[in-house]
Amino acid sequence: MTDSHPRPHHDLKWYPRGWRDRYGADFEQFLEDRYGDGPLPLSARLSMVRSGSLERLRSGGIVGSSVDPDTRVRGASLLVLCAWGVFIVAGSAFAKYTEHWPLATPPVDHWLPATGMAAVQAAAAVGVLILIVAGLACLPAFVQFMRSEGWRALWPLVRPMTLSVIAAGAASVGIVAWNNHVGPSTTTPLGLRIAGVLAGLVVIGALAVSYATLIAFVYRLRISTRVTRILGVLAVAMTLALAVIFAGALTWWISTALHAPWFFGSLIPRSPTSPAPLPMIVLGLMMLSGLVLAGIGALRIATLLSAVGDMTSPTAS
Amino acid sequence: MNDPPLLILTSLAEGPKHGYALAQDIGEFAGVRLSPGALYGAIARLEERGLIEALPEVERRRPYRVTAAGSAELAEAMREMRRVVDVGTHRLGLLQGRLA
Repeated sequence: MTDSHPRPHHDLKWYPRGWRDRYGADFEQFLEDRYGDGPLPLSARLSMVRSGSLERLRSGGIVGSSVDPDTRVRGASLLVLCAWGVFIVAGSAFAKYTEHWPLATPPVDHWLPATGMAAVQAAAAVGVLILIVAGLACLPAFVQFMRSEGWRALWPLVRPMTLSVIAAGAASVGIVAWNNHVGPSTTTPLGLRIAGVLAGLVVIGALAVSYATLIAFVYRLRISTRVTRILGVLAVAMTLALAVIFAGALTWWISTALHAPWFFGSLIPRSPTSPAPLPMIVLGLMMLSGLVLAGIGALRIATLLSAVGDMTSPTAS
Repeated sequence: MNDPPLLILTSLAEGPKHGYALAQDIGEFAGVRLSPGALYGAIARLEERGLIEALPEVERRRPYRVTAAGSAELAEAMREMRRVVDVGTHRLGLLQGRLA
């Protein structure tokens, strides 16, 4: 035991602020009573990571029913937004992987894969459009935030995102410059390949940080009931667009595998031709997991949309 | 028998307790050592559902007590468990001492 106000436990950061305000001091005292002043055992820390993350999801309205329907619809909409992020990564890799397919397959076999690819592209465009509309719908709330809180409140939120985007931009420019310096070659140097993978990871990291920032920021906005409903409907529409992208990619994959299986082996020198190469399996699984995530969000929205604006439901602590 | 909310309600049925006393009591009567996350997660859910309530803090330790709704929920859970125990006991023939 120490003094009456021990140092706050670092692991409490996993819990949302509202939870820490309510249970933080009591919880710290419990930890001190059980474990004394020493470091917490790993099992205790892991239980706090799990429990704290769950509390964050609950307070954000993503799981459970402890917050009002507006917050739950907002959380479910953000879940769909996260699914879109997964599709951005998987879709970009899919576009790169498949960019030369018309040249590698006989024109007579183009119809079905071309239809699948067209569906992917059209649904992706619809997804971008939905995002723009969602952004415009949130614009009044953003203006209100800037008027009341100002740039000083915004900057700490967006600083990590800004830095990560700059890092991703620098990594991308560097890799493109190096690639141009190497010029057209049958084999890519190993260093360039490794740098490409690292640059890709930096870009994915920047995307993740940007998403985390966006989500944290959206929870700070005072979004009206009407806009919450609009966001919910847009999220459901986005889920449909993601389903079309997945179906289109799957159609392309299956039809190409049936009619031109050699395409999958032609991109990687000396690799055996397989209708189900590892990159396609990974991309397919990524899209599927994103679709499941979006489906969970859309189902949650569908069941809650009629209750939006009903503030008699439980509220966030 | 590792349902944190049920264990907490059972412990509080005896009287108000703070987190550490709850964990100690549960360890003694059920042989279950609840992790910090599980214990306070369950406390938060029970309080949210109005099954327990917090009392004023005493030296940074906040005692909790079971509410009337919590007592009713616990009683119902006990009845359900009793039914299962009765059926299991009967089917195993424990009452007749056949397997005892």
